[in-house]
Amino acid sequence: METAVTVFLTILALYFGVGLLFGLYFMFLGAAKIDSIMADSKKKVRLLLFPGVVATWPFLLIRLFKPNTAD
Amino acid sequence: MGLDYKLVLWNKHKKAYDKIIAFGMVMYLVLFIVLTLIFNPETIAETMIIRAFGSLAVIMLHIILAIGPLSRLNPQFLPILYNRRHLGVSMFLAALIHGVFAIIHFHTLGNVNPIYSVFTSNMDYGSLTNFPFQVLGFLALLILFFMASTSHDFFLKNLSPQVWKGLHMLVYIAYALILLHVFLGAFQQETSIFTIGIVVLGFIVITSLHLVAAFKESKVDGFKGEKDTGGWLKVCDMHEIPEDRAKIFTVGKKRVAIFKYDGKLSAIHNVCKHQGGPLGEGKIVDGCITCPWHGYQYLPHNGQSPPPFTEKVATYELRLDNDIIYINPIGLEEGTAVEPILC
Repeated sequence: METAVTVFLTILALYFGVGLLFGLYFMFLGAAKIDSIMADSKKKVRLLLFPGVVATWPFLLIRLFKPNTAD
Repeated sequence: MGLDYKLVLWNKHKKAYDKIIAFGMVMYLVLFIVLTLIFNPETIAETMIIRAFGSLAVIMLHIILAIGPLSRLNPQFLPILYNRRHLGVSMFLAALIHGVFAIIHFHTLGNVNPIYSVFTSNMDYGSLTNFPFQVLGFLALLILFFMASTSHDFFLKNLSPQVWKGLHMLVYIAYALILLHVFLGAFQQETSIFTIGIVVLGFIVITSLHLVAAFKESKVDGFKGEKDTGGWLKVCDMHEIPEDRAKIFTVGKKRVAIFKYDGKLSAIHNVCKHQGGPLGEGKIVDGCITCPWHGYQYLPHNGQSPPPFTEKVATYELRLDNDIIYINPIGLEEGTAVEPILC
């Protein structure tokens, strides 16, 4: 059971670790590439969205490569 | 609806509801602390905080889960539905305070990573009576984090409404985990059946409300109108539809809302493009069909959001014959203009 716990928590840590890196990219560069409305968004809005970007980065990464699907 | 993202979508009504939420939360916490000091004065501050915020989060979750079915059963609850997002984020913050204090209090004294300690300090996973209930609370908090952190229109748009809705439907898994967390925790730490009784009562209320609302909706889905020789479906007498309101029917396996307004009738697909809200439960405001969930608007004759917005829903052709409304069950392309019939 300890092995299962270690594997689960390692995957969780990796997921959120990559999410943090992606979130930083979103904050400073990626926001407008993901969504054109974000180009004029305030820093406060990006900061508010940061935790959600960390949480859902795989979906937003896909969105980054298909930028026009939701516009 | 908006052309840019705001930090928080506040208006006069939302601010009033948020004040009510904040006031209610503070009042509950004060009441909990006062009652604990009276009936259980030896309780230490950390335990009081953990229990106060934990029970607050559970109560708020029950209110959140009740709002949906209550709004379907009685439109008077709809204004509360508009503010559910803020209630959800407030509930997550209460649950987060509960979780953080519990981890600090019980899992930071050793030399093991606190999160790892949550999962391994009690390895009795095979036992029902001694199951490590804290793990269930941690997993529920993780789900609530995913939901609260994505409670913004940016995520609704960029994750797609389907993914966003799916993510937020995880609230039912979080609810199940929280019920087990409270049950097992109460079994292990208390002999009083009060906590268990309250949770069972809450579960019965939530389940009953969902079942009654589902039964009401099944009547709409079970509608089987007569077809005329041209294949048009007889739906209802036009007098059955109130002014500026709609009646919902299932036509060709899709829900359609027929609106009556300004002496005219128009039909559109019942599902809002924003979050799938039931447009037919909304009303005509300023000449537009207004979704009861978040106020997204559509013009009744063509199913298009007024410019500069771009949302579109399918429209349907209607015919009136001796005050009886007939509908062509074959829907038109989203945003197709259809001349309203006069009534």
